Amino acid sequence: MSGSALAYVMYAIFALGGLGVYFALPQEGRWPSRTAVVLGLAALLGFLVLLGLEFAPDGGGGLYWVLFAGMAVFAAARVVTHHRPVYSAIYFVVGVLAVAGMMLLLAAEFVAVALVMIYGGAIMVTYVFVMMLAQHGGRPIYDHSSRAPLGAVLAGFVLTATLSGAIAEALPAGAAAPTTTVNYDVDFRPAAVEESGPLPAGNTAAVGATLLARYMVPLEIAGVLLLIAMVGAVAVARKRIPVTEAGALAPPAERPLGQSGREAEPFVPELKKV
Amino acid sequence: MTHYLIVGALLFGLGLVGFLSRRNLIIVFLSTELMFQGAVVNFVAFGRLHENLQGQSFALFLLAIAAVEASLALALVVLLFRRKGTLDVEVWRAMQG
Repeated sequence: MSGSALAYVMYAIFALGGLGVYFALPQEGRWPSRTAVVLGLAALLGFLVLLGLEFAPDGGGGLYWVLFAGMAVFAAARVVTHHRPVYSAIYFVVGVLAVAGMMLLLAAEFVAVALVMIYGGAIMVTYVFVMMLAQHGGRPIYDHSSRAPLGAVLAGFVLTATLSGAIAEALPAGAAAPTTTVNYDVDFRPAAVEESGPLPAGNTAAVGATLLARYMVPLEIAGVLLLIAMVGAVAVARKRIPVTEAGALAPPAERPLGQSGREAEPFVPELKKV
Repeated sequence: MTHYLIVGALLFGLGLVGFLSRRNLIIVFLSTELMFQGAVVNFVAFGRLHENLQGQSFALFLLAIAAVEASLALALVVLLFRRKGTLDVEVWRAMQG
């Protein structure tokens, strides 16, 4: 299939998928309708079949790509459309596992394991802790309605369709590989695995050598940035909010969409020494 | 590598949909993390296309930045929750426009 024909078929699939996601977004407490499920799954299936048949065979990852890509896209759609935050976090971990699988297919073993450890192990734990500390209990209105579902779906899917169309036209199946020679960035190659393919085995060793030899300054800056973030997070979260009267921290009356903040009672902070 | 790039674009687009449309502050920032996932897939796919380790190295830095952003965003969410007692984005509507 030529590049532009592929692009047009993908536009149709993304339109279908966008419609499915629009119906799946939580709106006024309505459950995702069967329409949403059918449209979304049909779009996902079409997406996987189209790209799987076009790009996945001989070297593109094969059936494993179809599995991981389907898992990732489904999990991402459920993160965005589920009405319970903890389920969104769990689906996000599923998505991270799928992306880690795709990293393995791309010969990026260290990145795959680092993704699982840092995202699934650290970042998601932090998110679940914050969900525990800031929970509402019951069916809060802000989990069951969306701000501008049509606009958001239009923005997201038009962007995705444009990007995908441009990519499909620029890099159709069977496009010539770039003519650069293999460049490992550092003159490091484990002696036993000289010519084991386009990327050296011993990926962790090669990545470590690259980071320390060629990208030393960004590595140190990343360390300093992590330190700054740690200090900053503690400093931000320690700030004491003065409580004006007994019921000040009770959740306000649930407001429907679009009600401006000006109609609520003004929040007057009491200026006292903390 | 086209199919990897398109999956990366799709993950980014879905993260954008969640970022723009959800009302729960925590889910908004979770969608931001989803956008980071799309970027990581794109970087590593391009690294594989050019057959060097630059994509993977930048993906690791991106991982560090994502962790930094998650921690600071959640600290802000905790602070905002303490101010208004709810995780709703709509209570901050007066800041809009």
